[in-house]
Order: sequence, then structure tokens, then C-alpha cells
Amino acid sequence: MLSKLTTFMDEKLSTPMAKLAEQRHLRAIRDGIIATLPLIIVSSMFMVIAFLPNSMPKDWGITQFLLANQGKILLPYRVSMYIMTLYAVFGIGYSLAASYELDPLSGGILSELAFLLTIIPVTVPAAGEAIAGLAAEAPELETYLASLPSGFLLPMGNLGSGGMFIGILASFFAVEVYRFTQKSGFKISMPPQVPASVARSFEALTPTAVVLIVVAAITMFIGIDVHTIVSKIVSPLVSATDTLPSVLVIIFLEVFFWSFGIHGVSIVGSLARPLWLVLLEGNTSAYVAGERVINTAAEPFYQWFVRIGGCGATIGLAILFAFFAKSAYGKALGKTSIVPAVFNINEPMIFGAPIVMNPMLIIPFIITPLVTGTIAWVVTQLGWVNHVVASAPWTLPGPIGAFLACGSDWRAAVLNIVLIALSVVIYYPFFKMYDNSLKAEEQEEA
Amino acid sequence: MKILLVCSQGMSSAIAAKALQEAAQKKGLDVTVAECSTQAFAEEIKNGYAIGMVAPQIRHRYDILKQQAEAAGVPCILIKPQGYTPLGGAKLLDQVEQELGGIE
Repeated sequence: MLSKLTTFMDEKLSTPMAKLAEQRHLRAIRDGIIATLPLIIVSSMFMVIAFLPNSMPKDWGITQFLLANQGKILLPYRVSMYIMTLYAVFGIGYSLAASYELDPLSGGILSELAFLLTIIPVTVPAAGEAIAGLAAEAPELETYLASLPSGFLLPMGNLGSGGMFIGILASFFAVEVYRFTQKSGFKISMPPQVPASVARSFEALTPTAVVLIVVAAITMFIGIDVHTIVSKIVSPLVSATDTLPSVLVIIFLEVFFWSFGIHGVSIVGSLARPLWLVLLEGNTSAYVAGERVINTAAEPFYQWFVRIGGCGATIGLAILFAFFAKSAYGKALGKTSIVPAVFNINEPMIFGAPIVMNPMLIIPFIITPLVTGTIAWVVTQLGWVNHVVASAPWTLPGPIGAFLACGSDWRAAVLNIVLIALSVVIYYPFFKMYDNSLKAEEQEEA
Repeated sequence: MKILLVCSQGMSSAIAAKALQEAAQKKGLDVTVAECSTQAFAEEIKNGYAIGMVAPQIRHRYDILKQQAEAAGVPCILIKPQGYTPLGGAKLLDQVEQELGGIE
């Protein structure tokens, strides 16, 4: 009866829902953004290093050195994570074009063009006579004027997470134009006397011309501020993602899919990752600027306080199998699962225990992450641990990852360890029940 | 013979790949097992693999991955959940043998 119900739910609910996430545009966002993650992880480690002095004794030489060079250490961050949309747009355009079997490189470049056309270059006007006169009298003003850049400048703000949604839309627009011109025959055609290669070189110009003219007309000639409009539309969505109810829904969905053996993080992440990145970059920028960090539930929050040992906070279950199993199968499973679990990989247990479609283990698999997530939310709100500001590699052991993600905050490592202990406690009765049933089966067979 | 396992990021499939590799060695078969991420699969599968195997947790992507494998002329199967564990090497090997009708 129960197995019929779970099969029914798998076939009618979880698998069709998972397939929705495979929609071409969602897939392009997912793959494009995943391609930028290494860059975000490495550059946010630079940020962690630059701000190590916050958690080190003031009189150490290294503290002094880091403080003196903070701005320089942060420069790589400024041209990577700080302007991550610039990179993501290329990836999204590339993936979307590839999914249409169009030249992916052209798709990436067209997307980048469409996106950059929404960022209006500015120039710093030359100082007039009056200012020059003032500067002659005030050396401070003179040095200031000399330090101003000249020529055209691209404001960096919207190249980062602030421009994420425009970036996504720009990529979609560029690649759809590209597809339309290629598939519909709407392109510059040459008389038959013109050599084919020459004709092709003109054909390639059509999508570029359409993208350039249309986007430039909207943003530069008519002067519509698309970034402000889109951020007004999206900001309620971003702030809604950063509430406890949303956090609980997201956690539930991740483990719900995994309960059927479907990669929940990948599915939920297809939709949530752009929002998580906006939340994270908001925190990072505020942290770097020395302002108050306000967002709670960016992805590192889930990574280090919810998905400890893998989705479902299964670290506790891995510890139980490794050290407290009485059944032969449980012991063997524990031995092979504990090391991957330390690095947050839990497929061996999900499919090995199995947790998938196993009512005895699905209950704690859903309850535990909801509990750890709620606790971490409250603790963060109370200010007992720093908000997450960095994206540490997800395969780091929990306490180390939590320490780094919260801007080298040892209290985050403590929270992670407390949550691991809690995971052991919640899983224990269910583990015991399951291990006993395995043992009983083994004795029957013997 | 080369076998390619694919999962979301090529992490957990590395564990299953090792199990399959060991199971094949135990039977004295000349098999090399590699793993990759979903994003890398379309390109990687072109490199002379005899079969592609899709991890159960990304079965919602099986159709797309199968198409990519078939475009490279390589058969592609979905791994049974029971085989996708460090202890499931023998089951994975069974699946491969069934699909290919034996391994030489």
C-alpha cells in the first residue's frame, strides 16, 4: 500500500516536477550560473583573507600587513565575484544557444553585447576654469582632480548581482533573436552572383544588428532605465526568499525530491540560485564596505547549517551507521559512507541505506534539516553568528566551511558542530529502528 | 573498454565509478571507468566510451543525456538506484553486461 503510494507520487508528482526544471531556459540559467561558481568561490576566499584581521590579534605582523594591503587584496574580488553577472551572461547565452544547436560562442558573445548595452558608459567632465582656479589654491583639490579617471567609464554596480535579472533577460533576448534570424530566414540576403562565403559573412551580421539596435534604442536612445524597473519588480522576490517560511519551503523541497532519489538541490537551485547569489553578493558588498550585513539565507547558509553531510543533514545518520550499527549491512554501509559524508556527499547513504522511498528514514531526513535550518535562522537573527558573506567550496568539512562562509567566524564552526550533534540525536531513534530491522532480516537469512 | 558515469557535478558518480572499477577488476575484466558532470557529458562521451551511465538522482535529465550519447553513437542507460552505492559495484557491472551483451 505504502509502496504503491510512493511509486504513484514519484511517477505523477516528483519526476514531472523535476522535468520542469529541465525546460531549456531554466537549464541555460542553471548551467550558465554553475559555470561561474568556481570564480565566486575562489574570489570570495580572497575576501575572507582580506578580512582575516577582524578575527586576529591586532599586534600580529600578519594582521598589520593584511590591513595595510586590504584594498589590493580585494582587487581580484572586484573583477570577479563583484561583477559576476558579466560572466554568468556569457554562460547563459552559451548554454541556451547550444540547446538550440546554434553556435554557442556566437550566442555567448551576442548575450554579452545585449547585456553591456544596458550599462551606459559615462565620462568624467574636464574641470572648468573656475575649478582649475580653486585647485591652484588648494593642493588637496589638485591631487583629487589628478586622481580622477579620464575617458569613458563603465559603472560596475549593475555588472554584478544587481544586474543579474537584466543579464538573464538580455541573454534570452539575444539568443532568441539569433535563433529567429537563423531559423526564419530573416537575414540579409545577397544576389546569387555573390560568393557563398561573402553572403554568409553578411548573414552573421543580422542578429548582431538587431540586438544592438533594439537594446541601444531602449536603454540609450529612448533612455529607459531597465535596471531600476527590473530591480523594482524583482526586489520583493529577493526579500521574500530571505524569510523563514521561504527557507523552510526551500529546505522541504530539496529533501522532498531527494526522498524519491532526485537531486533536489539541482532542481530547487535552478530557480533559487540567481536569488541566492543576489542575497550573497548583497552581504559581501556590505561586508567589504564595512556596512551592516543583513541577508540571512544565501546559499552558504543552506550549505553549512542545513545540508551538513549532504541534503537532509545526514551527517548524523552517517556517524550512527559508522559507529553504532549492529547489523552487518549497516556496518559495511557506515564504513563506506562516513568519509564522503564528511565532505558533504551523501548519495552512498541515500541510495545505499536506502533513504529513498524508505519511510523509516524519510521522516528524520525531512525533519532534521528543517530543525537545523530554523535554529540557524534564529541564531543568525540574534547575531550570535555572523551572516554568511562568502561562498566556501561545498566539499569542505562542515565546521571549516561554516567558519570561512561567515567571514572567519569561529562561532559559525561551533554552530555547525552543535547542529551535527543535533542531527545524531534526531536520527538516532529512527536509525535504531532501521538497524534492528536489518539485523532481524540478517538473522532470518542465516 | 571505457565506461562513463555522469551525475550532477561528477562527485558522487566518482564513488560509484570506483565501485564499478573494482567489481570489474575482481572479474579480471579490462575496464576503465570515468565520471563527469552533466555539463561536461556531451563532450566527454565522444572520447571513445563503450557506454554512458546516468546517476539515478538526475533521471529527469536522462532523456537529454541519452540524446547526447546517441549523437556520439554510444548507448546510454539509467543506473538502478540499488547499484548507486559504494557497495553496488557488482550490480552496476551486471547492468553494463546486460546492456552490451557481455564484456570482452
